[in-house]
Amino acid sequence: MPAVITANLPVFVVIAPLFVGFVLPTFARKMRLVENLVIFIEVLMLAGAVYLTSIILAQEGNPIIYSLGGWPAPWGIELEAGSLSAFFLLIIAGISLPIALFARGNLTEEVGNKERVARFYVLYLLLVGALAGIAVTNDLFNVFVLVEVATLSCCGLVSARNQPWAAKAAFTYLILATLGSTLVMGGIGFIYIITGHLNMGFASQELGRIWQDNPNVIWMAFSFLLVGFGVKSALFPLHVWLPDAHSTAPSPASAILSGLAIKGYMICLFKILYKIFGFTLMQEFSVHRILLLAGMVAIIAGSILALSQDELKRRLAFSTVSQVGYIFLGLGIMNVKGLSGTLFYLASHAVCKSILFLAAGAMIAASGKHNISELAGIGRKMPITMAAFTIGSLGLVGVPLFSGFVGKWYLILGSLEAKDILPIIVIIMGSVLCAAYLFPVIRIAYFEPAPAEAWQDPGLSQKIALILLAAAVVILGVLPGIFLKLAGMAAAELLVFN
Amino acid sequence: MKMLLQKLIINYPYVAAAILFAIGVLTVLTRSNLFKKLLGINIMESAIFVLFIGGSYIRGGAVPILNKNNPGTLYINPLPSALMLTGIVVSVSVTAFALALIVRLYKAYGTTNLQRIEEMRNEVKDKCQQ
Repeated sequence: MPAVITANLPVFVVIAPLFVGFVLPTFARKMRLVENLVIFIEVLMLAGAVYLTSIILAQEGNPIIYSLGGWPAPWGIELEAGSLSAFFLLIIAGISLPIALFARGNLTEEVGNKERVARFYVLYLLLVGALAGIAVTNDLFNVFVLVEVATLSCCGLVSARNQPWAAKAAFTYLILATLGSTLVMGGIGFIYIITGHLNMGFASQELGRIWQDNPNVIWMAFSFLLVGFGVKSALFPLHVWLPDAHSTAPSPASAILSGLAIKGYMICLFKILYKIFGFTLMQEFSVHRILLLAGMVAIIAGSILALSQDELKRRLAFSTVSQVGYIFLGLGIMNVKGLSGTLFYLASHAVCKSILFLAAGAMIAASGKHNISELAGIGRKMPITMAAFTIGSLGLVGVPLFSGFVGKWYLILGSLEAKDILPIIVIIMGSVLCAAYLFPVIRIAYFEPAPAEAWQDPGLSQKIALILLAAAVVILGVLPGIFLKLAGMAAAELLVFN
Repeated sequence: MKMLLQKLIINYPYVAAAILFAIGVLTVLTRSNLFKKLLGINIMESAIFVLFIGGSYIRGGAVPILNKNNPGTLYINPLPSALMLTGIVVSVSVTAFALALIVRLYKAYGTTNLQRIEEMRNEVKDKCQQ
């Protein structure tokens, strides 16, 4: 029996949320049932992810290979659950569960009636399933299809609120994201045309043999994929869709969009760059320099843009633009320390940004105020929400003993090993700027006189969600051990190819 | 120069794909009409379809159905066509979703011009809150 479960685990974590997602609309009238079903499936996914991680850790990072339909690799589609997949699955399951808890009984206000809430959950589960698919897939065309499923569900989540401006944000997002996925499909097309393989392992082998004959095609593939995934994961000059989309979505949707969805596209980029092109080609075409530069520009520019926003959710959205920079910067540091740092930072940002968006959503729902300057004294009226917000900010800034610190520390160690000083300066400057745009919120919330209004902490399941996520930030910061080990294994797995 | 021209003519599917792609990107980025943006996306996607299918085509190749009487036949790779069928399905769903959003935007703002919609943001927001 355990052998059956182990063998089918990689496909189970993808199929389960997709299946429940499609079944969900039939129960649309019973909202409690829908919500409990979503939470149940999230718990199941978390259990699956933890079990998978334990297997991978026990096997010292040896991946589980699953051939769909029983067809072996060059012909059939292959799923591969290695340490990178286990790491990302753990992030997906670990964050989407608290977000689902937060959304429980809390959505009708933002989304509308029961049917609309049920549809929201359908999109939510489709997004989670697509992200899980991205984590385990080992096939290029599957990457494109899953990316497209994720994109469409994201756009649906953005337009979930019954507001005309939400439709505009969703439309802009849809157009730019489709532009991105068309570029991605083009990049995949170039790889397929010169290698004849869609399987990542085979494509990589073939590419290692023939890349000297077709340098121009490889340039095209690189640029299409970089720009495509850059648009989708909101790398700085291509971020224009993000602030509107992430700030108009309902709060749980903003949390999952900022926390998980853009990370999915980055994981795709990780896989394609390191598993297919590999270390040698990236260095030969100096792609790592481009990534490093783009990351540094994004950190500074995103922070400066965030500083000038007064609307709370918009400031958090611009903060995402700057945090994406760290991950791209880490992608360009091509050693185990830098890569494990960037993976850990990806996890840390996912947790912290989810807390920030959820807490911001709770505060906006309770007070009806959207601007930071109007939130004076809210910290004393909503202690748990604001405490979670503070912990999230500390994690994002990278104060020692909180999760962001470990990620930034390893990024700095990685750039020291690569003998690059500029990234270190930018990382530290980014932290200072991050403190500059997040700490004023905390100061206003705690130290300014509060108006005499009855603002209250949200309900029980919302509190549990915030506390779970805040605990995750502290645990990742104080005891990063096993998670850091997994990130290190994933980084080693990425660098060992070719 | 002659060499380059010859190469371009031989590889006409790729040239067509490049031209279509450029037209599509330009339309998406420069037009502010929502429908034209959507059409631009569709043209871009067609360009990629042409790229895949042109890449799989072999001059003089046969339809990939096994012919036992003539074992030496060259077959055209059927996989890209199958992939592009998926691509077309994806593109259709994107188009449908975008059209639904355009309907919603038109109902709220009474226009399909993105710039006008952006100008009207604040007025319509106020209307909603009343």
